[in-house]
Amino acid sequence: MIRTEELLLNVGPQHPSTHGVFRIVVKLDGEVITEATPVMGYLHRGTEKLAESLSYTQIIPYTDRMDYVSAMTNNYVLVHAVEKMMSIEIPERAEFLRLIVMELQRVASHLVWWGTYLLDIGAMSPFLYAFRDREIIIDLFNELCGARLTYNYMRVGGVKWDAPPGWIDKVREFLPYMRKRLNEYDKLVSGNEIFLARIKGVGAYDAETAIAYGLSGANLRCTGVNWDLRKDEPYSLYDRFEFDVPLGVNGDCYDRYLIRMEELRQSLRILEQALEQFPSEGETMGKVPRVIRPPAGEMYARIESPRGEIGCYIISKGKAEPYRLKFRRPSFVNLQILPKLLVGETMTNLITILGGVDIVVGEVDC
Amino acid sequence: MKGLIKGLGVTWKAMTSKKVTYKYPDVPLQMPDRFRGIQHFDPDKCIVCNLCAKICPTDCITLTGKPNPDPEKKGKVIDTYDINFEICILCDLCTEVCPTEAIVMTNNFELSTYSRDDLFKNMDWLNGNNELIRQENNSAMPKGGAKKNV
Amino acid sequence: MSEEQKDKETKLERTNNVSEPQSEESVKPDTEVPTDTAAEAETGSSPTANAPASTGADKPMRAPLTEEEKAARVQAAAEARAARAKAAAEGGEGSAEAPADKPARTRDKAEGDAAGEEKPERPARAPRAKANEEPPKPKEPSPKQPLLDRLVAMLKADVAEDAVEDAVINYENDHLPTVTIKNEHWLSCAHQLRGHLEWSCEYLRNLSGVDQETHLEVVYHMINLSTKAEVAVHVKVDREAPTVASVTPIWPTADWNEREAYDLLGIQFTGHPDLRRIMMPDDWVGHPLRKDYESLDSEV
Repeated sequence: MIRTEELLLNVGPQHPSTHGVFRIVVKLDGEVITEATPVMGYLHRGTEKLAESLSYTQIIPYTDRMDYVSAMTNNYVLVHAVEKMMSIEIPERAEFLRLIVMELQRVASHLVWWGTYLLDIGAMSPFLYAFRDREIIIDLFNELCGARLTYNYMRVGGVKWDAPPGWIDKVREFLPYMRKRLNEYDKLVSGNEIFLARIKGVGAYDAETAIAYGLSGANLRCTGVNWDLRKDEPYSLYDRFEFDVPLGVNGDCYDRYLIRMEELRQSLRILEQALEQFPSEGETMGKVPRVIRPPAGEMYARIESPRGEIGCYIISKGKAEPYRLKFRRPSFVNLQILPKLLVGETMTNLITILGGVDIVVGEVDC
Repeated sequence: MKGLIKGLGVTWKAMTSKKVTYKYPDVPLQMPDRFRGIQHFDPDKCIVCNLCAKICPTDCITLTGKPNPDPEKKGKVIDTYDINFEICILCDLCTEVCPTEAIVMTNNFELSTYSRDDLFKNMDWLNGNNELIRQENNSAMPKGGAKKNV
Repeated sequence: MSEEQKDKETKLERTNNVSEPQSEESVKPDTEVPTDTAAEAETGSSPTANAPASTGADKPMRAPLTEEEKAARVQAAAEARAARAKAAAEGGEGSAEAPADKPARTRDKAEGDAAGEEKPERPARAPRAKANEEPPKPKEPSPKQPLLDRLVAMLKADVAEDAVEDAVINYENDHLPTVTIKNEHWLSCAHQLRGHLEWSCEYLRNLSGVDQETHLEVVYHMINLSTKAEVAVHVKVDREAPTVASVTPIWPTADWNEREAYDLLGIQFTGHPDLRRIMMPDDWVGHPLRKDYESLDSEV
């Protein structure tokens, strides 16, 4: 007697393609998914609870570890929130350093995404190329602040280290090198028929769904909604630079891929302009009191990280520690659309869609 | 087919380009000067101000001081100084606030041990760890951390 | 001091629904008053400090205040703050801290989080003198103040007269209109915010639970992507039986956020399709983010 049954399959938590310790419980009918339930919390470290007993400078190393692939943007969102609450002015050189570092971080993060996404889909060589280029950026950060992944670089009021001599020139040399590499990557991947067959039309959704589910970053822009916090709610010095915001049309994985590749190019463009306008001297720290005590109140500051809108909601009661610190993590919110997208897809497309959403589990769990 | 051929062209070109692999551990890695490796501690410079223990985000530094054995000099002298490397995250906030640069980072990052007890570094070890001490410490911060009304 | 008194009263006349002059909502007006006035005795720039002085003595501890009183106080505080912010903008860089500090504190008081709030320590600041040169001037209201007034009016008209407990502008946060809405009216207000033509905030950015020690609170931040109108909403919840209407039917993005608030704080969301723990293991007992949470292993 042959009969078919529904199969309950566990994808993860140990899985090479789930980008961390993350589990999806999938109900399968043959190869078609009927229901998918993400289960998370394996990497929950209690950052928000810890933050209630630490001063703001002590929380900065913890923010590095949330979205460990783009730690500079995490640093910045916390520091930006506190500075807004205290109305601290940042010297221009410090702000430029922050912007340069954040855009370099965006390039590095998108390279990681690109390499791992293609690795999940089955291509091995882009992974190594991406990480080779990311090494250059990581080495730049290593020279700047002494660490390769968890930088602990920004402080309330400025940045910790000034650029060592010769660093700016190295960044300048990196830009044409990266552009050349990006053209090579396009030749390698973007025209590849196998790749296109796997990606086109997969995981599509429309703009209303995207807005209703609170998506941000490339996940929102792939449907055509023009919402980029660097342009629509400018922070730091982004209003001084010209750059385009790539938008998609169909809302599928291919559009997200193209958008992120184009964002890489636009980041390089911003970097070029920033390096031209970089002030040759200046302070790296503004006027900050010895103990950082924001006045009582609350603040929701948000910036555009490579994954979407990262927000930091602080309630302060005037003490040196925050009363409540909540991070609005883009990966956590973006992941909500996964159960909806996966219904009716095959198992192979599960990995494609999950990679296209671009999550980092350290951020999903915080 | 054309996309595949173009991609293959890129891969084959990479075969003839310069190799970028490091031959670590046969060739030791040179880290830049600011690299945050394990700490070096100089007991003579320490004034037992406890700032490092207070700022540590994970509370891994424990120290005790004793009154200065020299009856003429005031102030305390360091008695024991331990860093628990199971939880140290090498964030270098301790070096940032130390007013006398008694604790500084080195470039030593090879910290693996075979037993957890070895991870509890005491003062002698930290003092003896005096290779590759980094030269530039607090370049942006004035000594003692951010000053009031700077 | 008298001019501020007078000024305060004139401001109060402008607000609607005022039945009584300023009243204190914070639990500890007494503790705050002496330090307040002490810190600023020489400058006398705190109309809000005057409020506690006048009513602190007869205010019952933790008596629920009417919405009108709260709204009135908060309106006054908002305008005081606006003036100081303006003064600070003209006064110089250091004084920015002075206005930001106090009005934010009063706003906190005004929103009724009582016991959890102690007086913030204030390092002595010379620039305070600058801010105090101009307080009695009628404050320039925030550019978003009309927006806030319209929102409050709309909610009062369409939902219920007492739906809005509190409405302030959060100056530091780019003049974000912040309203506090009563728990029982929250769902209807949410429908209004989502559906009303002027607002239609379709993008819910952030949903977080907060443990203010006397009660719990849920904070929503939402924005309309085309007009960029943003609102922040606080909904206060009882601590013993925390329930709040779930907004998942309105904004599907609230789904996991509410699960996180339930998991870490214990707030029950009625109407949520699938309320279960998300971060902690399914069999965990307790809600970790609460202030009175005892962890299993306190040595860690």
